[in-house]
Amino acid sequence: MAAPRSYVLWSYCGRGWSRLVRTCGPRGLHSSLPAGSLGVRFLSQEKHATQTHFGFETVSEEEKGGKVYQVFESVAKKYDVMNDMMSLGIHRVWKDMLLWKMNPLPGTQLLDVAGGTGDIAFRFLNYIQAQHQRKQKRQLRAQQNLSWDEIAKKYQDEEDPLGGSHVMICDINREMLKVGQKKASDQGHKAGLTWVLGDAEELPFDDHKFDIYTIAFGIRNVTHIDQALQEAHRVLKPGGRFLCLEFSRVNNPLISRLYDLYSFQVIPVLGEVIAGDWKSYQYLVESIRKFPSQEEFKEMIEDAGFQKVTYESLTSGIVAIHSGFKL
Amino acid sequence: MLSWACGTIASALRGARAPPLAVVQRGLRSTSSRFLAGPGEGAEKPLRAFDPALLEFLVCPLSKKPLRYEASTNELINEELGIAYPIIDGIPNMIPQAARRTHQHKKQEETEQH
Repeated sequence: MAAPRSYVLWSYCGRGWSRLVRTCGPRGLHSSLPAGSLGVRFLSQEKHATQTHFGFETVSEEEKGGKVYQVFESVAKKYDVMNDMMSLGIHRVWKDMLLWKMNPLPGTQLLDVAGGTGDIAFRFLNYIQAQHQRKQKRQLRAQQNLSWDEIAKKYQDEEDPLGGSHVMICDINREMLKVGQKKASDQGHKAGLTWVLGDAEELPFDDHKFDIYTIAFGIRNVTHIDQALQEAHRVLKPGGRFLCLEFSRVNNPLISRLYDLYSFQVIPVLGEVIAGDWKSYQYLVESIRKFPSQEEFKEMIEDAGFQKVTYESLTSGIVAIHSGFKL
Repeated sequence: MLSWACGTIASALRGARAPPLAVVQRGLRSTSSRFLAGPGEGAEKPLRAFDPALLEFLVCPLSKKPLRYEASTNELINEELGIAYPIIDGIPNMIPQAARRTHQHKKQEETEQH
């Protein structure tokens, strides 16, 4: 695992160096020295059969879940403010674009994983409601000469504005769900949504239940991405669609430089100033760099059994929407 | 005969007193909005309570088998594995690590192991 080029930027920052030495040191030794010559500390590391990364840190797979939990527990309350500050509000556009791509019909059963704060769920409900309103308007325009009986009847059988659509919000973090629930009551979303505390790798849902599975800025934080993808495939109905919005790779070298500069120099500072939490936002930017590129992730989705897998890079590839079908 | 006459008079009177259409419409609208607000006003409560309709979707994340809702303890129970998932603030906690082992099954497992 070569140190990413972004480490160059770290040399500007004292904190970065100490982390670099810490993370690369033991790992380097670990691979080059025979097991017998290792100290106790390294032996204890040996015990963890599989390692993964938490940002640029190498941690055991057991540790990662707990660390990610801490990050989101800590940022939950400031999550929206920080998203707006860090992305200059663009995250809203990205999420809207996910919905346009989804273009859900009334009656859609959506599972939104890692959607604790409800960003995708509320957009989904609004989208369906807007569609319903448009339909009503069209009907009204088409039927201008209704009899009084028909008018009275229209008022009597009030249609479900969601047309039976439902969104199941599943997040592993209780704090994020709490924030979402509060937002739901503030925004007046009462029907058509359910909150469940669950793990993307072990979804508590039956097979073939959902028309659409979404995960927006969530899969990056899952320890075993392949397992989460398989679970997505399992819970989708045949013909169901997998949609993932996630940070991706910037291909333009100039934008990439600027983006790195912004990510590593500005975001942790913003995190410290606004949310009082440098570390969590440090993790955020590091985890973005560790996430596979568009093509690599596309292959992973295909490996999970999805077909017609495509992706669309947004904002020069800062994020990408991946799509796949269970056929 | 008399009752018939009374009936017609009454219906005629009722007809005469029938409110103009705008009022009817307003009335209908208000009932419909009340209908819409109805479940909303109670939303605070259903949010906390568990909706059994959810059992159609939910399964045990470990065995992927259906669960039983136990109202007395407010838990979702997997009889087979002897695990109970708590429901806190109306949110089912489906994380296996947070689940409680139900007693009798624990014993069974112990005897199986020995």
